Amino acid sequence: MSEVPLIEVRNLSVRFGDLQVLHDVSFRVNRGERFVILGGSGSGKSTLMRCIVGLLEPTSGTVLIEGEDFTKANRAARLRILRKFGVLFQSSGLFASMTLAENIALPLETYTSLDTPEIRSLIDVKLASVGLSGYAGFLPSEISGGMKKRAGLARAMALDPQILGFDEPSAGLDPVTSAALDTLIIELNEILNTTMLVVTHELDSIFNIAQRVIMLDKSTHGIIAEGSPHELRKHSRDPRVRAFFHRNRS
Amino acid sequence: MKNTSVGQAEDLEFSVENGRARVRLHGTVSVYSPQAGKALVAQLAGRWPEIKRLEIDLSDVKHYDSYLSVLVGTLRDSTDQHNVELDLQGVSPTMRRFLDLLQRPADEAPRARVSAFRRRVETIGKSAGASFEEWRAFVAFFGEITIKGLALLRRPGDFRWKDLPFLFARAGVSAVPIVTLIGFLVGMIIGYQGALQLKQFGADVYLANLTGISITRELGPLMTAIIVAGRSGASYAAEIGTMKVSDELDALHSLGFDVTPYLVLPRIAAVVLVVPVLTLMADFAGVIGGLLAGEFTLELSSTVYLTQLKKALTFAHVFTGLFKSLAFGFLIAAVGCFKGMQVYGGAESVGKVTTSAVVTAIFLIILSDAVFAFIFEALNI
Repeated sequence: MSEVPLIEVRNLSVRFGDLQVLHDVSFRVNRGERFVILGGSGSGKSTLMRCIVGLLEPTSGTVLIEGEDFTKANRAARLRILRKFGVLFQSSGLFASMTLAENIALPLETYTSLDTPEIRSLIDVKLASVGLSGYAGFLPSEISGGMKKRAGLARAMALDPQILGFDEPSAGLDPVTSAALDTLIIELNEILNTTMLVVTHELDSIFNIAQRVIMLDKSTHGIIAEGSPHELRKHSRDPRVRAFFHRNRS
Repeated sequence: MKNTSVGQAEDLEFSVENGRARVRLHGTVSVYSPQAGKALVAQLAGRWPEIKRLEIDLSDVKHYDSYLSVLVGTLRDSTDQHNVELDLQGVSPTMRRFLDLLQRPADEAPRARVSAFRRRVETIGKSAGASFEEWRAFVAFFGEITIKGLALLRRPGDFRWKDLPFLFARAGVSAVPIVTLIGFLVGMIIGYQGALQLKQFGADVYLANLTGISITRELGPLMTAIIVAGRSGASYAAEIGTMKVSDELDALHSLGFDVTPYLVLPRIAAVVLVVPVLTLMADFAGVIGGLLAGEFTLELSSTVYLTQLKKALTFAHVFTGLFKSLAFGFLIAAVGCFKGMQVYGGAESVGKVTTSAVVTAIFLIILSDAVFAFIFEALNI
């Protein structure tokens, strides 16, 4: 019997009023994989990510996390599943009124029985892992955009989740900072064996990070290609996929 | 000498023999299962003097997360402090990479940490400096709107006339129900309370003087200004503040627009013109409220009340109230717009300046009312 996939999306559809965003989307993400959801603007990739991490209820279809149905979970099960996720939002999502340390401490204080010195050490460890040692007392407004992303990542990793979700990690970052964040994502994946679920349309990041991708398209509201990005670039015959990877108009 | 003890937590084996402490951790060491680590730290706490070497075997640790790094870091600090040799055994290459990743140095050196006391003192100094700076900036803002307001007389085209009807409607028309209702209720309260006192002296008829003068001179303008400060002042601060946060003000600058005549002056003009009208409505509603209170509590007929009101209420009473309301309107809009411009950072700052806009406006309204009272007294108005 094959292993239960970490994430399984089955026949997922999302509709906002008359607007169909996703239609009958199904795919699996395996444990420890670096999986990228890509597609042009308006293709529904962020919507799909929001459904997977439980921020949006799909119109129909299911999201299974380790075989457990997220969409039908009761409150307790939902909380348990949510703890398997850490999400880095596009604009970092750090709480502006809290220091970086307080941002990271919030989930630790809420969900663990650790005492204050242990939490403090853990904050140092988390900040060190994203290269921000010594910035614990800083407010998000006092640090740069790239540092905010890394601090957001430190908070997302606070509870050592099995899955880390990234919504457009490169958005608003310079190429050097963006490449450094890509490296960090790969490192964390290799060392911590964290499953990385990344939504992006940045080609450089896709080729850097992705082991496997799915490509969404707004005309079909679904997946038009699946595989490794290098294979898709070389061998895909779909003009939309070729256009995306070769930066042409389809 | 042999000294042995066994750890309490299931996943911990702990023994001390001839100054050599041996620790074996099993199973899970994670943020959700920190018991073994906690037990180890507790076991070691009182026994450091007798330990020369600490050997920790991690080969049986099946599941671990960042908590393992915290535990190793804590033990490393303690062994350094007590001059004990630390030997980590059974560390797999993956675990080694994991521990190294979580203990790497910062990419950029942070600024030096300061002590809590110094930080507190600095905060007091900074906030004193910031409030002085803010008042200075407000005076500069006042100067700017005066100069740019006068410049409009020469170039009226710079003013955004198109927005005025909308701003009038928002600051004025939609405030009419609440302003008249509050005016009416305040008039009724004053009338009722006054009636109880005046009745004792048989001076029932003077209720018209009491409500008429107090409403038109003070309470009408004040209540209206406070309501408008809560509605329009807060809304201007939040609106301009949000525009600043989302770079809309910078966009206006880069498109060659001057923010003051484009955003600020139309808002000031709208509120300055609208507040006296609202005040007049509040005055009217307040006087009616007083009349009803007189009729119900003193059985004072409306004809008597209105005749007495006509005798008591002079043009000066109404005029002073309306004149003050012009100034109040200016203060509300100017403070609201100014505070909006002061937003820095994000959503939290917008919330703070909005609160501050209302509080500052109300404070300035009351302060200027006191100044007006003094001036009108001196001028015998």
